[in-house]
Amino acid sequence: MVGKESFSIRSIRVLSGAVLITWLILPLVPLAIWSFAKGWFFPDLLPKRWSLQAWEYALSDLSGVMDSLWLTVWISIAATALSILVGIPAGRALGMYKFRGKELVELLILAPTIVPGIAVVLGIHSVFISMGLNNTINGVILVHLIPTLPYMILVMAGIFANYDPSFEAQARSLGASSAQTFWYVTLPAIMPGIIVGGLFAFLVSWSQYILTLLIGGGRVVTLPLLLFNFATSGRNDITGAIGMIYILPGVIILLLTAKHLSGRNGAVGGFGRI
Amino acid sequence: MKKILGAALLATSVAFTPNAFADTADGKSLLGQPWEKIVETAKGGQVNWFLWGGSDDINKYVTEYVGGILKNDYGITLNRVGLTDTAEAVNIVLSEKEAGVTDKGSVDMIWINGENFRTMKQGGLAYCGYTDTLPNNKLVNWENPAIANDFGVPVDDCEVPWSKAQFAFAYDTARTEKPPKSIGELIEWVKANPGQFTYPAPPDFNGSVFVRHVFYHAAGGVENLLGDFDQAKFDEVSAKAWKILNDMEPYLWREGKTYPTSVNALEQLFANSEVALYFNYEPAGVGLNIENGTFPATVKGYGLSDGTIGNTNYTIIPFNSPNKAAALVLQNVLLSGAAQYEKAKPDVWGTQPAIEISRTADDIKAKFASIKKHPAVASAEELAKNALPELQASWISAIEKGWVANVGQ
Repeated sequence: MVGKESFSIRSIRVLSGAVLITWLILPLVPLAIWSFAKGWFFPDLLPKRWSLQAWEYALSDLSGVMDSLWLTVWISIAATALSILVGIPAGRALGMYKFRGKELVELLILAPTIVPGIAVVLGIHSVFISMGLNNTINGVILVHLIPTLPYMILVMAGIFANYDPSFEAQARSLGASSAQTFWYVTLPAIMPGIIVGGLFAFLVSWSQYILTLLIGGGRVVTLPLLLFNFATSGRNDITGAIGMIYILPGVIILLLTAKHLSGRNGAVGGFGRI
Repeated sequence: MKKILGAALLATSVAFTPNAFADTADGKSLLGQPWEKIVETAKGGQVNWFLWGGSDDINKYVTEYVGGILKNDYGITLNRVGLTDTAEAVNIVLSEKEAGVTDKGSVDMIWINGENFRTMKQGGLAYCGYTDTLPNNKLVNWENPAIANDFGVPVDDCEVPWSKAQFAFAYDTARTEKPPKSIGELIEWVKANPGQFTYPAPPDFNGSVFVRHVFYHAAGGVENLLGDFDQAKFDEVSAKAWKILNDMEPYLWREGKTYPTSVNALEQLFANSEVALYFNYEPAGVGLNIENGTFPATVKGYGLSDGTIGNTNYTIIPFNSPNKAAALVLQNVLLSGAAQYEKAKPDVWGTQPAIEISRTADDIKAKFASIKKHPAVASAEELAKNALPELQASWISAIEKGWVANVGQ
């Protein structure tokens, strides 16, 4: 580790941290105020009338927001878990080995982040219908893997590019089984990547709209579906209330994993290039 | 990946057990059956209704009032699916048809009209020929061309009306003294009040209907535009209309360099006092917006002396709905005098009924007569005195394309 940081580097760090927090928090302030407002008109600095109506609606059975919240949490966690399962071996292959057609594989993995979702979603829908996966939660979880996997695999490939497999060989030569080797040697080394990639995967799945609507066929109602209804119809109060609920899981997960995100823990595996 | 896919495939195929209640995907077999039989078939089933979900008032009416009747009186579960754009539901049906799903569709009913209805009808995506089966169909006046035609497209028994709406303007009495009361006055008013007016860019539903009002004005009356699309007439009138709109452009909000993309954006501009005039195809929205705090209480709706365009909106059943019996029961409930009255109450929604009130039972008639409209909403009777018809869809799409090419560019 580096010794004491110089004063100027420290102040830049503090300053950039403050700017980042301002950028992240400030836009949320009007949203929070709106959720308690009954009308908020120019040029008033604060709403003249306050109300809990928007929150009452958002928390009522009628709006279905709470049911959607748990469903969305489950779908995003499942999509993240599957992304990790697929992402670790795929990242290992891309990060550690050279093989024929590797560039093509990388391009195909990146494709979902380059091609706009709206262009392919109808085709995906037909495929899912023919497999009988439409209108099911399982189908929605699977289709979320399309946008989440590129992030997961790229992060894991970066981790494995800097990963030294001779640690595994040493563990095996000392008598560890392959499961023990993975658990005690590989997993701790790639953990920072799993956390960062998993966070990406969770947030990408969390914010899916059109894929969920089409593949879910209206049976799988996630939070973005409810949120966008109101966000596009100009109901700032209800949008604010649902929006506050909507950002909660992301914030909680960010706080839980914050210490792994500083980059310092990357020391073992390290974030490298593919 | 393969293993996971396989496992999930297996899991879902196991989960796909047939429904306990009768599958009524075969719409033909329902036609001509006694109503009691259809109600019996629908019992214990479900119906998935896809409709625009951006109003908590409408959501509440649909989920609690309509859903309550279906549950308590018919044992049917209503699943309201909120949409941001109706075309999303049409796309689901369309891609199901392309994938060969003819009897297991996801959508049982859509709130629809205009362009989306045309897509459904032309694409063979609608279940047709059943309206006589509904007992409450007798409350609908199919002789009225404004009901029998959806934006100029003959309904042909492929959907049933739900509500009527008529375009109306609104202004804030605290900010504006004399709003323009005709399209001619508006054109002058915009020039005298630079930056105070704008309209959503077509093909936005409401922006498009505003442009049609200008088009009617340029044509010297809608009579000259009715009927099939006429290129020569279009060229003549459009040249005048584009000139009016282009002359107006520098006096619009932000000098016309940009237009709002949706009527909701216009609503926000009006709520924030950036523009002085607001308009919407659903005049009742002004009352709801005052009550929910979007607009100040000083806002007032009004019609134009040279008339405003009216339309009817409908509910449609897709050809591949597996719950057609339940969807028919739902449509019949929606057409009932009681449900139409509930919807017309200003604190519920305030929208105009699509049925003939004169054909309803006496108690329903009395209830309708007792409705006090929201004071800020333009009176439906006043608006109806100067109602203008919609054009055929071919005219509308030509006008929208022409606006984009000549004004919006």
